[in-house]
Amino acid sequence: MRRSHFGSPWLMLTPAISLISVFILVPIVLTVWLSFHDWSTQTGFGAARFVGLRNYEDLFGPISVGRDFRRAFLNTAVYTVLSVVIILPLSVLFGLLVHQTRVAGGQVLRTILFSTYMVPMIAVALVWSKLYSPTEGPINQILSWIGIGPQPWLSSPDTALFSLVILNVWQQIGYFTVLVIAGLTQIPLSLYEAARIDGANRMQEFFGITLPLLRRTLLFSSVIAVINAVQVFEPVVLITQGGPANSTNVLTFHIRRVGIERAQGGLGSAMAVMLMLSLIVIIVLIFAMARQKEER
Amino acid sequence: MRDGSTLFRGPNPRAADGLILLLIIAIAVIAAFPLVWMVLSSLKTPAESMQTPPVWFPATPNLSAYREVAEVIDAQRSFWNSFLIATTTTAGILVTSLMAGYAFAKYQFRGRDTLFAVMIATMFLPPIVTLIPLYRLVTYMGFNASLIGVIVPNLANAFGIFLMRQFIAGVPDELIDAARVDGASELRIVFSVVAPAVVPAIAALALFAFVYHWNTYLWPLTVLQGNSADYPIVLSLGRLLSYNRGAMNTGLVMAGATLAVLPPLVLFVFLQRFFVDSIVSSGVKG
Repeated sequence: MRRSHFGSPWLMLTPAISLISVFILVPIVLTVWLSFHDWSTQTGFGAARFVGLRNYEDLFGPISVGRDFRRAFLNTAVYTVLSVVIILPLSVLFGLLVHQTRVAGGQVLRTILFSTYMVPMIAVALVWSKLYSPTEGPINQILSWIGIGPQPWLSSPDTALFSLVILNVWQQIGYFTVLVIAGLTQIPLSLYEAARIDGANRMQEFFGITLPLLRRTLLFSSVIAVINAVQVFEPVVLITQGGPANSTNVLTFHIRRVGIERAQGGLGSAMAVMLMLSLIVIIVLIFAMARQKEER
Repeated sequence: MRDGSTLFRGPNPRAADGLILLLIIAIAVIAAFPLVWMVLSSLKTPAESMQTPPVWFPATPNLSAYREVAEVIDAQRSFWNSFLIATTTTAGILVTSLMAGYAFAKYQFRGRDTLFAVMIATMFLPPIVTLIPLYRLVTYMGFNASLIGVIVPNLANAFGIFLMRQFIAGVPDELIDAARVDGASELRIVFSVVAPAVVPAIAALALFAFVYHWNTYLWPLTVLQGNSADYPIVLSLGRLLSYNRGAMNTGLVMAGATLAVLPPLVLFVFLQRFFVDSIVSSGVKG
């Protein structure tokens, strides 16, 4: 470790830290501060009027502002949980398929899976909106070949949010598959050899060695998957506009609509604070789970 | 044999191998299908795009949709804007991350670990949380509705600092000491001694940053309100969609999407090793 007498660390740190402070840390503080104020985004911060907890009361109150926010919060929660619950097992399956070397094609599969992660979300949204088209889209056509009737996908409040989850899984799965592959390469081969000598079958190996040793990877994956999922925005702003019947109104879309487009900066900030607090709780819980298991 | 296949090896290995291969092919086809459909659709005539049930392959593939894209949006300008945003942002991230990563990896100073933890915490923050005040701050600075406003807030980020610290920690102290004995300044050491020793990490970070900022949508949409001349290609795609609502514009939209996808995809295909390596190191060591 170097001592600082070779030069002040601040010479090196100033560019990064001042940028992150001005453009991330100060805005976090401002978001919290604004959440206690009545403030139009069109005006300077000086025009903000202190209203105490009024914005939060509105979010939890019986008025439409509260109902819309709670619906957006619930939609985001459902979208996030479904995304994580689908992505994690699939990433393990795909990771095993890429990692194995008995059958060719693993590397090709990895390339294809990861290349979808490079595609701008906006293009993903555009393409899938056409794939989902009830009449001109190929998905319903393919389903009809195997005897499944046409699905409404994005045009029904019952299926729209889940349709967005599928789109999200398709775009993100390659990233999480690579994380799992990284985890798999860390597992010592000797563990499997020992298990085989003890007469363990393949299932026992998977649940006794592979899955437990992937735990850290999967915990990290779930944190990243949650953070990514709450950012869903492009398909909503471009295709569904939060509809039909508010079924795809999610927080990133809703906060931006309230705080930027409707210029209700104080109210939007209160929503942003609620999102931030929820994320902190979830991430702390995930890490606590990790620590608890590790101590056992 | 490696261990990945353990789950799939049943009592009959040959049948199991066939099953694995089938699974790989099925997943690859499903994963590739949307992108293949996108390219095919961009080559169809408007009449073919509207047919029910859908036509899979255009009878005579034609590029008229691509010509139309150039007429509806200033595609050249949009591409240039995307390129400008992605390259300058990436350059900034590389410089700030190298310097800060060096300080966190090789200097001992009070509050270092706390400061590092605060920086890393920002990595987990979705941009929407700070969007409203950030929009106002950038307006105060006079950067509103300009490319500068798109670029400047993103010139440093926690992921870059984290990745650089991880890799610079592995650079031998003797290398740095030798440069100091030769009288090199600390800045010179960062850019001409440390940087060449972590080229793979720099390549990975550059690729990640370029692709991320080529693709990013929320912030440019917010800051460039009312200035469509400075739109990057991802924002111009949105304009394609609203240009002529309905099935008529499918070919147009798919052609635009194909164009927007190409740069990040081509970069990835040629440099995927760096992407994968950096995910592995940032994921596992993290």
